[in-house]
Amino acid sequence: MPFYEKGDVRIYYEDTGGSGFPLLVIPGGGLNATIAYTRNTATAPFDATAEFKNEYRCIAFDLRNANGGQSSGPLEIDRPWDSYTDDMLGLLDHLGISEFMALGYCIGGPFIWNLLQRAGRRVVAAVPTQPSGFRPTMPTLFYDNNIKGWAPALCERRPDITMAMCDAFLKNMYTKRADFVFTVSRDFVRDCQTPVLVLPDDVPAHPYATAMESVYLAPNAQVSLYPWKDNPEKVRLAVRHVRTFLKANRPN
Amino acid sequence: MPFYEKGETRLYHEDTGGSGFPLLVIPGGGLNSTVEGLKTHPFNPLVEFKDEFRVIAADLRNAKGGQSTGPLETDRPWDAYTDDHIGLMDHLGIRHFMVLGFCIGGPFIWNLLKRAGDRVVAAVPVQPSGYRHEMPELSYKNNMKGWGAELCERRPEITMAMVDKFLSNMYRGERADFVYTVSRDFVRQCRTPILILPDDVPGHPYVVALESAYLAPNAQVTLYPWKMNPSQLQLALRHVRGFLKNNRPAVAAQPLAAAAQ
Repeated sequence: MPFYEKGDVRIYYEDTGGSGFPLLVIPGGGLNATIAYTRNTATAPFDATAEFKNEYRCIAFDLRNANGGQSSGPLEIDRPWDSYTDDMLGLLDHLGISEFMALGYCIGGPFIWNLLQRAGRRVVAAVPTQPSGFRPTMPTLFYDNNIKGWAPALCERRPDITMAMCDAFLKNMYTKRADFVFTVSRDFVRDCQTPVLVLPDDVPAHPYATAMESVYLAPNAQVSLYPWKDNPEKVRLAVRHVRTFLKANRPN
Repeated sequence: MPFYEKGETRLYHEDTGGSGFPLLVIPGGGLNSTVEGLKTHPFNPLVEFKDEFRVIAADLRNAKGGQSTGPLETDRPWDAYTDDHIGLMDHLGIRHFMVLGFCIGGPFIWNLLKRAGDRVVAAVPVQPSGYRHEMPELSYKNNMKGWGAELCERRPEITMAMVDKFLSNMYRGERADFVYTVSRDFVRQCRTPILILPDDVPGHPYVVALESAYLAPNAQVTLYPWKMNPSQLQLALRHVRGFLKNNRPAVAAQPLAAAAQ
């Protein structure tokens, strides 16, 4: 089973290989994002790797320290978003990949924006799928969800990590960044020329308003039909849009 | 001013020319569909896509305010117009093309796919017309009032009785269903890539647009609504542009004679 290792970080990943243009698939599921999320139709509306593996080299991974996953590493309290982004960029470096496209579910939305901020020249196009975002009417949602649904299990299996550390980590990740898409500013999105296709959602953690705001701001954004998950026919329509978008932006 | 003529039919058209892949644009406006009318549409493909495609648009035969004329073929209304579309492309030496049609352009696109599916590379029905069960006489009545009366006034050989027959064959009876021109079975088997920009005014039922998108195996649909503000429109246009770009053949359009060899 393939692992990318750097220092104390060990990232489990799957790589379909082949000669297709690389497509990084960022699973959803908050801080418990694992490859298994994308394979399960109960959690992911479509399995990006299964959909696109014949056309792209799909690379997916378990998020560092996700419960139920195989990736592990230190809890970088002062730089939560960047530590995860390090893992993604490091994995692609490890695989010898310079340019790539990214498709991310849920928390993959903020990760995509952070990838664009930190390695914009490498990301050819991106697809935030049901992206996470800040909802002013539920300002502590992400902190609450993760302090309950992620931190206790992590502390249980990792004696080096305490709930106080998780509290600080999540505050730096969500509480102190409580706006928009968490990772970048509106000005960054306004200036971002990378083609972006957003598939909006509207559950508490995936605010439609934020998804649409990012789409209106980004000069080369597109958006799928909405809603697109309420029946299999609509999912197929959305996936066809994704396929067209990826193909249109894939370097020749 | 360019006209395509065949028998008694005389079709005014505009052609941006150039080496881009041909994009036939069918204006909306019901039977009063004209090139000039494109200026009032949500976007004008003659402007929007002229730098990437060879865009061709025509006044519909006998449209009010247009310059195209021809006989009223009461027994074959849809096919008469489709003859004009195909004939114009032949006249311009174009074998393969893409098509983007507003409103009535939706049913015309399906008829083109039925009659010349091997020539239509991809299609974009924009705010497509369709049959609405709760308003079964809508298209017939709109055109009797808004098109038939004026046509009879300027063309003495055409009577309201002829117009009634023409519109009845176009919109009533067996045609009063779905997208008027083709069956659901046809759409189900149509492999041509289609991108639909739905609408939901009386003449453009959303439910029919979505039904055709669900049925067609290579269909896509844009965001909806997409015309409420300029930002939405830009999002839809980016989707259209990517769709056209993706489906444009790698080699330039071949003229008819070369393609036939």
